[in-house]
Amino acid sequence: MTGQKDLADQIRQKTRELISTGAVSCAIGYERATDGVTSRPLFAYQSEDCDSFIFDQTCTHNLTRFLRDKRDAKKIAIVVKPCDARAINLLLLEKQLSRDKLFIIGVVCPGISQTSWEHRGQELQPRCQSCPTRVPPVYDFLVGDTAYTPSSSNQPYTEVDEMEAKTAKERSAFWSQQFSLCIRCYACRQICPACYCSECFVEQLDPLWVGIRIDPSTNQIWNLGRAFHLTGRCVSCDECHRACPVGIPLRLLNGRLVKEVLELFDFRAGESSEVTPPFATYKKDEKLGIGE
Amino acid sequence: MTQLITKADLLSWLFQLLKTHVIVAPTRIGETALFQRITAVEQITLDYSNAAISPKGWFFPPTETLFTVEKGDGQTHLLPARVIEDAVLFGIRPCDAQGIALMDRPFLQAPADIEYQRRRDQTILVGLSCSRPSSACFCTSVGSAPDDPANVDILLTQVEQGYLVQAVTDKGRALMSGSSSTESQISLPLVSCTTVISTDTLQKAAPQIFSDPYWDRLADRCLQCNLCAHVCPTCYCFDIRDYTDKGKIERVRTWESCQSRGFTRIAGGYDPRPTKGARLRQRFYHKLFYFPQEFGSLGCTGCGRCVRLCPVNIDIREVITAIQNLKRGVANG
Repeated sequence: MTGQKDLADQIRQKTRELISTGAVSCAIGYERATDGVTSRPLFAYQSEDCDSFIFDQTCTHNLTRFLRDKRDAKKIAIVVKPCDARAINLLLLEKQLSRDKLFIIGVVCPGISQTSWEHRGQELQPRCQSCPTRVPPVYDFLVGDTAYTPSSSNQPYTEVDEMEAKTAKERSAFWSQQFSLCIRCYACRQICPACYCSECFVEQLDPLWVGIRIDPSTNQIWNLGRAFHLTGRCVSCDECHRACPVGIPLRLLNGRLVKEVLELFDFRAGESSEVTPPFATYKKDEKLGIGE
Repeated sequence: MTQLITKADLLSWLFQLLKTHVIVAPTRIGETALFQRITAVEQITLDYSNAAISPKGWFFPPTETLFTVEKGDGQTHLLPARVIEDAVLFGIRPCDAQGIALMDRPFLQAPADIEYQRRRDQTILVGLSCSRPSSACFCTSVGSAPDDPANVDILLTQVEQGYLVQAVTDKGRALMSGSSSTESQISLPLVSCTTVISTDTLQKAAPQIFSDPYWDRLADRCLQCNLCAHVCPTCYCFDIRDYTDKGKIERVRTWESCQSRGFTRIAGGYDPRPTKGARLRQRFYHKLFYFPQEFGSLGCTGCGRCVRLCPVNIDIREVITAIQNLKRGVANG
């Protein structure tokens, strides 16, 4: 298996080459965070900036989130894991990106650990434990050893099943308590590559869909509304879950809808940049109601 | 000479207090420690580093009705203000108590925020010294300390035998008189903050590097969420909206953040802080330069929450050092 040092070396070499030849104006990857343990995004503009790129099991961020801030750039290089590359497919499908303005450095992903300040978990994150592939579905340059493909289940994680097994009353009580903790920091929305609306529904004042109150019932509308806006679009990077400062288990919420879409429509977001997603598809003989 | 109270006596004292006071204390929900209004003493956790969100929300709530006006019988009535209850804010760290003292500057400055003032008058602060400061904490670099009694009514310090008690104010002494603490020879343990950063040239450096490209580069990875502002003990930006319904007008104030896109957009569409870099710079300048210029103290308490919780590791300690290095012409990360 390609060592993590090798992954980093390959990324540095490639990005240095792309920047120094002027092929790209910026390369987005990862560098070490100030705790000395975890990582953070790095934007390299000069060749020497690339010396700081790393890649290891703390590289949790979905860097594609930053592409929407760099639309003015001529061409950008970006380091992606399989889940991140699914987000690129989603954004290409939804006409938010131009393929020719991207140089995609795909990484054969070793799986990512749980990360928080100074902490790198022993286990892989649930999304990695059930990841269908270690190889990104789209890339221009691949880093890592494709021979390394550990077995993993093809289904959303067991935590979603466990939640589903609870009664509606139990689930309602659970989520009501969780949403009462929400402080509407919108870290979940801001870290998400799929949340790119220039005016979010929660910010609209006319009509006032949600309002500014930070209270349990308004928080519920916010969280459920965002989850529904992600249905058929969420790529399960779980970064929203990690970003939440009060520990709301968003991966359970979004993961449930990912599973619903998979079961109803046999569709997973981001596998292709061309297949029309279910909610944008009209078929004459569609199901019209529950049980049909 | 200090007072000592056993853990059991402390909990039974709180049990009694709960009959006459609202108690807001650290609780654990899942893996997250959060200040909550408790209904039973068992809900309190004393085994915590610091709560994810500062307790400023007790005085400056995330959502608050400033007033309600009702029209009826051809008259306009201002509905009576909420009753403020006597409260104990229990188990707050010195950095958070420092945060409340700093918030007092803008909120109690004439004309004072009425409900903030009433809550401050009717709330007793019982602090808890830090025995294990986090690596992200830096309170001693910004005017506080893990065992600083300056801004609380009572300060507790955990020791093997229970808690040492320092009654700092008359309010604190009065509250302690209901407890069974005893005199003790145990001396207060020494504790230091692990991270120390210099702020010597910060005030001089800040105005010099306002236009430096550093801010745009730092902002590249900023998500423009409200996380840092909402967890912070001293951030106080807000939004206000009037809700109208059948002749009733309710003016509501909620937490907001200068980091949001469009926070400074004004009627007509102009925005004096149109870029991420300008907004990110504003947060640091407010906390590290404008606040001290106006109120005489740094606006950061070194609690380390933004450092631990920022999803992209924008680290205020790194920024404080960078501002000063840029002025000196030293290279920055």
